[in-house]
Amino acid sequence: MKQWLAVAVLILGMGLAQKTIKLDYAYYNPVSLVLKEKGWLEQEFAKDGTRVEWVLSAGSNRANEFLASGSVQFASTAGSAALLARSNGLPLRTVFIYTQPEWAALVVGKDSSIKTVADLRGKSIAVTRGTDPYFFLLQALRTAGLSQKDVNLVYLQHPDGQQALLTGRVDAWSGLDPYIADAEVKAGARIIYRNPLFNSFGFLNVLESFAAENPETVQRVLRVYARARDYAAKNLEETAAILAKAASLDVAVARQVITQRTRFVNPSPGGTQRVVLDRITQVIVAERLAAPGANVAQAAATILEPKYLGQALASR
Amino acid sequence: MQQPITQAKPAGRRVLRRPAGRLRFPLGAVIPLAILGLWLLALQLQWLKPYQLPSPLQVGTTLAYLAQSGELWGHLQATLGRLFTGFLLGAIPAVVLGLLSGLLPKVREALDPTLQALRAIPSLAWVPLFLLWFGIGETARVLLIALGVFLPVYLNTLSGVEGVDRKWLEVGQIYGLSRGKILRQIVLPGALPGVLLGLRSGLGLGWMFVVAAELIAANSGLGFLLQDGSNTSRPDKVLASLLLFAVLGRLTDWLLRLLEQRLLSWRDTVGNQ
Repeated sequence: MKQWLAVAVLILGMGLAQKTIKLDYAYYNPVSLVLKEKGWLEQEFAKDGTRVEWVLSAGSNRANEFLASGSVQFASTAGSAALLARSNGLPLRTVFIYTQPEWAALVVGKDSSIKTVADLRGKSIAVTRGTDPYFFLLQALRTAGLSQKDVNLVYLQHPDGQQALLTGRVDAWSGLDPYIADAEVKAGARIIYRNPLFNSFGFLNVLESFAAENPETVQRVLRVYARARDYAAKNLEETAAILAKAASLDVAVARQVITQRTRFVNPSPGGTQRVVLDRITQVIVAERLAAPGANVAQAAATILEPKYLGQALASR
Repeated sequence: MQQPITQAKPAGRRVLRRPAGRLRFPLGAVIPLAILGLWLLALQLQWLKPYQLPSPLQVGTTLAYLAQSGELWGHLQATLGRLFTGFLLGAIPAVVLGLLSGLLPKVREALDPTLQALRAIPSLAWVPLFLLWFGIGETARVLLIALGVFLPVYLNTLSGVEGVDRKWLEVGQIYGLSRGKILRQIVLPGALPGVLLGLRSGLGLGWMFVVAAELIAANSGLGFLLQDGSNTSRPDKVLASLLLFAVLGRLTDWLLRLLEQRLLSWRDTVGNQ
C-alpha cells in the first residue's frame, strides 16, 4: 500500500515537473494540421522531456478564450479577432503569420438575381458577428457606398448561415471556408464578391507574459512552425489531403480551400498586416465593438511582434 | 404538503412579526455582498487577470454605456417580450392539460409517459431542430420558450390536483355539493398551490430557455448580448448580461410570489407567516 502511494506521488511529481507546451490546432490553420500530423514539435521537444499538447479551436473566439484561460500558449485566430481581443484587454502579441487566407467571401444562391455588392441594398445577409466574414462584409459594403444600416443582417453561426442561404431564408451570406467551398461544390452557390485584401490573415498569438518569460520556447516553437509552413507551401496536394482528413471534408472541397483560397506568404508579422489592421480598426470603432475606453488604434500599433521569428530563423 | 394547520390564526400575529419603524439589515444581501467582496479580492490578489474577470466598475461602466446608447433597452424589451409570449403559450395549455390529467386517469395514462420523456431533453438540444422546422424568425424562439415553460407547469399542476386532500372531498360530499361545485370550490383551490409552484418553476425554466432561444439567429436580447460578448472577447459584456439575467429573474419571480400570496392568503402554513 505504502509503495503504491510512493509510486503515485512520484508519478504525480514527475507529471508536475514535466513541462508542457500547449498549442491549438484549427481547420482554418492548415500549418497547424501539418505540424500536428508530422509530429515535428514532439520530436523537437522530446530531447528535454517537454510534452506537447494539442487543443482544437473551433473558431477565433474560442482560441482567444483558450489563450485567456491558459489552456493554450499558442493560439490561432484571424487577425481581426486578435486585434479585437487585444483592444479589449487581452495582452496578446502576434508572433507568426500562418497564411494569407481568402476564407471570407459574399455568397448567393445558385439562381439569385444579386450580381454585385450594390444589389445587396435592402437584402438580408447572414453573418457571424465579430468574425472575419463580418469585417469582410462591412468593408465590402463600403466599396459600394453602403453601410450596415442599408442591409438586414441576420446573425448566424457559420454553418447555420450556409444552411440559411441554401434553404433561401436569407438572400446572401458572408461566409467562411470550408463552408463556402462546400456550398459551391455541392449546391452551386455563387461568389459575388471576393477580395483577399479584406481578409485579415491568419495570426498565431501568444500572451505577452508567456513570451517574456519563455523567449527560447517561443523561438523553438516558431522554428518548427516555419518548417511546417514551408512544407505545406511546397506540398499543396498533401496539405489538402491532411485538411480533408482532419476536418472530414471532401477532398475536392479541401483542395479548393488550399490551392485557390490560401496563400503561404511571408510568415513574419509586419507592414502588410498593419495595413489590414488599420482598416479593421475603423470598423471596430465605427461599430463600437470594443469595450468603452479601449484604444483600438494603440492595440493595432503594438500587436505585431516579429522579433521571436526573426531570432528563430537567424539561429537556424 | 399544503395541508392547512388546523389551529386558527393567532390574532394580532402581524403586529408581533416585525417591529414597525426599525430598519432591519436584509439577510438576503449577505451572500451577494460576500460575492462582491470575493470578486474584488480575486482582482486585488491577482487570482484572476482583468481580461479574465473584469472589475465591478468595468461591468458597471459597460452597463451604463449600453443603457446610455439605448442598446440595453432594445435587448431587455426583446427578451422580456419573448419570455412573456412564450410563457403564456406554454403555461395556458399546460394548466389545462395538467388539470385534465389530474381529473381523468385516462388522459394522464395517455400523456404522462411522453411528457416525462420530453422532460429529459436539454433545451439546447432542440435548437437545431427548431431552426429547421420554424426557420430563423421569432416563431422558433417563442415556441422554444413555450416548450420549456410547458413541462414544469404541467407536472406541478398534475401533482397539485393529485395532492388535494381526500378528506376535503368527503366533506364536500357530506354537505351534498354537486360535482361541479366540488370541482370549483374544492379541487381547483386545492390544486392552486401546485399550479402556482408550477408557474414559478416554469418561469425559471423559461429564463433558461431564453438563452437557448436567443442563440437562434437573434440580433437582440440578453442571450444575444451574452453570445456577442463571448464572440468579441468582452467578458465585461458577458458578466453584465449575467447580472441582468439574475436581477430580472428575481424580479419576475417576485411578481409571481406576490400573486401567490394574494391567491393563497387563505392558507395558514409555515411559509405563509
